[in-house]
Amino acid sequence: MLLLAMVSQQPWAAGARSYAKGVIAPLEQAMTAVSDRVGSVTAVLGDNAALRADNQRLEEQNAELQRQIAELQAAGQDNVALRAALDFQRAYGRAMVAAQVVGRGPDGFSLTVEIDRGTSDGVRAGMVVASGAGLVGRVLEAAPHAAIVQTLADPQSRVSGYLAKSSLEGTVVGGPGNLVMQINPRFGVAPATGDWVLTSGVGGGYPRGLVIGKVAAVSYNAASTVDHATLAWVNDPATLTVVLVITDFTGS
Amino acid sequence: MSWIPAALLVLLAALVQVTWAPGLSVYGAFPNLVLVIVTVITWTRGQRAGLIWACAGGLLLDLTAPGPLGPHALALLAGAYVTGFWVRNVDPSAPVHPVIATAVSTAIYSVVLVGADDLLNLPVPPPALVLDLAVAAAVYNSVLVLPALAVAKRLRREAAS
Repeated sequence: MLLLAMVSQQPWAAGARSYAKGVIAPLEQAMTAVSDRVGSVTAVLGDNAALRADNQRLEEQNAELQRQIAELQAAGQDNVALRAALDFQRAYGRAMVAAQVVGRGPDGFSLTVEIDRGTSDGVRAGMVVASGAGLVGRVLEAAPHAAIVQTLADPQSRVSGYLAKSSLEGTVVGGPGNLVMQINPRFGVAPATGDWVLTSGVGGGYPRGLVIGKVAAVSYNAASTVDHATLAWVNDPATLTVVLVITDFTGS
Repeated sequence: MSWIPAALLVLLAALVQVTWAPGLSVYGAFPNLVLVIVTVITWTRGQRAGLIWACAGGLLLDLTAPGPLGPHALALLAGAYVTGFWVRNVDPSAPVHPVIATAVSTAIYSVVLVGADDLLNLPVPPPALVLDLAVAAAVYNSVLVLPALAVAKRLRREAAS
């Protein structure tokens, strides 16, 4: 098995590995469809169906409003003219491919999701994935009709971000609970709870301006060179159903 | 258990594990249904059968995970080996043994999985997080193994009669 792993890890085996991984995606899609159907059938037993639909609609509206608030806060910090020029590209001007989440990672060590779009749809490794609420993660591997996305909750995930109000910058680190942001301190400026965190674009991995989450708590340690903020991520990998792959931006 | 029902069972377990199970996450861990099924097969059919289905189930999980093929299969093989060793040396009818064997098997599965990733120069989570997730998954899987084992034994009895 270790030999198989070493062989399948080689660059020349990447194509065959991708094809093999693409084989199971339709089965996952079918299982996800069954899951959705079972969920709706059981919900019909009570008034749950209507309540769930209302709840989902309100949650979507809430997420959309939160995204708008975060973008408005960020806008206040940027030069208005520059932002007007950049907005076109960084928000709505990008080419995107909508994809359905058909599966999730098999264990808690790698919090990934599998989507039903792949190289035949223009999806490539390194592309950024978002939802209506904000940043989801990045494509790790792409097969012809499926791709594996590393979510921000993955312990290996690292994203450069900044706080919308204070403009403090730092690195958002993934984890199975909340996301944690390691904030580079600046004299006279303190991170505050409730502040929105957006991608800074530093490092070239992600485009600037995508909403990551909201600061839920801040902790200071005199012995540490960075402040730590716990973030409430705008997405939940366990409930994600549809995502958008930004196809005209490939992270470095 | 003939190989067709076993294959379907392992395939179903793998699909449920990567679609429904993450929704049941507790403290970041969710049930490893393939490991539970492999433990049940090993407990009821012996180590050889357990190792075969550990290999098959592990490869299925590898197909849904990022990175090379093999680490999950290797980790499940180690878990099945430990379970097989356990069942040979204890009274298999005592309910406490499959529970402990599943917990130990889950711990070994986690260590081998992370160790294989590390050996292959893949990114691995911090040790403290691995410990937390492994303990939570061990508890989760141990709770599930007894009902799964009861169902398997009942099916065997009905098939025999």
